[in-house]
Amino acid sequence: MSHEPFETLAAVYAVGALDGDDLAQFEAHLPTCAVCQAALREAQDALARAMLSMPPQAPPAEAREALVRRVGRARGADRRSWLTWAAATAVVAAAAAGFTGTWVAVRYEARLGQMARETAAVKERLAGHEASLREQMALYRGAVELLRDPATRVVDLRGRGPAAAASGRMIWNDAGGGHLFVAGLPPTPAGRIYALWTIVGGTPRSAGLFGVDATGRGTHRIAPASTGAAAMVFAVTVEPEGGVPAPTGPIVLASK
Amino acid sequence: MPTPGGDLIRAMAAGNRDAFAPFYDTYAPLVLPFVLRIVRDRADAADILQDTFWETWRGAAAYDPSRGTPEAWIITRARRRAIDRLRSVRRRGETFVAPVDEATAGAPPPPGGDAAMRAEDRQLVASALAQLSEAQREVIELAYYSGLTQTEIAERLEQPLGTVKTRIRLALARLREVVTPP
Repeated sequence: MSHEPFETLAAVYAVGALDGDDLAQFEAHLPTCAVCQAALREAQDALARAMLSMPPQAPPAEAREALVRRVGRARGADRRSWLTWAAATAVVAAAAAGFTGTWVAVRYEARLGQMARETAAVKERLAGHEASLREQMALYRGAVELLRDPATRVVDLRGRGPAAAASGRMIWNDAGGGHLFVAGLPPTPAGRIYALWTIVGGTPRSAGLFGVDATGRGTHRIAPASTGAAAMVFAVTVEPEGGVPAPTGPIVLASK
Repeated sequence: MPTPGGDLIRAMAAGNRDAFAPFYDTYAPLVLPFVLRIVRDRADAADILQDTFWETWRGAAAYDPSRGTPEAWIITRARRRAIDRLRSVRRRGETFVAPVDEATAGAPPPPGGDAAMRAEDRQLVASALAQLSEAQREVIELAYYSGLTQTEIAERLEQPLGTVKTRIRLALARLREVVTPP
């Protein structure tokens, strides 16, 4: 196959207009052909000089100053931007979105692979953070909504016994349920969990199970009581992991 | 057009902040009309200019003289941003009814353009591209300024694909003659 067709492809590639099979074919050819690489360089240089031959226009002075200042503050040229030059020349030719430069890939395959892996790891971490942030936001929003209601009560819980330094606050609304916020509680031993009880007419009712994070803080959302009886007294005990119908373990937090 | 571009880029790559201002002062006034011609909006062009030159500072170490000249390096980076911006404006125009303030900002120029654009067209005519034939200038404009592919150009001009390719090749050969000092 003669080389002449590639000269034409090189010209169209240089103006960034090559597409389809022609593009794939040329990109496969380019890494192997010094003649085309030289032709491409010369074509791009000629184009650039032509584009830069228009009468100059001064950029806004503040923009210049801002940039010069920013460079003055910056840490210095980033040696890891190796991709930028490669991307700039390849993307110009690949009209569609997507980085298809075989020529670039041949030279930088290993680095590309590493970057892709790093990016994937970062994305995963971020997705995890985002999900947990969303959850927390929903929780806090719920608590704020309850606080708008004049019927909502805020009840303080005090640490007891071995957890004397612990504290808790219950935002409670008979119709809307509640939010418990605790601090200063140690993580439960293996096989154990904290259990919340509402005490109505002297009888403890289970109001769910929860844990604390490494800093000793925890939050717990309680669904509205089905009985409609007003809950005024709350307590937290330590129970076996599966929960129990009535409190068996020591009380660590209690309201007055 | 003899320029100290290569030396300045090398200096920036070595972390020499003092090289940036002369680099900017040399090239930014030449890149701005180019970007403006693509995006046809002053605010967008100013943003693109800012981004481009910030990235030339950060990416100076990636410049490889064996792959191209400093002029090609800068123009390629500026063009990529400008074409991206142009395409995103086009996409928004096609799929949404743009809100009032957006409609004026990114809209394609009215036929004949406003006074500033007409002045720029005159400037273009005075530049190297003026040395091309009408047909050659047209394909370069469609490909390089408007970001159309060879297929799209052929459709737009109602010409066979082969004709478009050949015209581009001839246009580039002519440009090389024009910009190369005798």
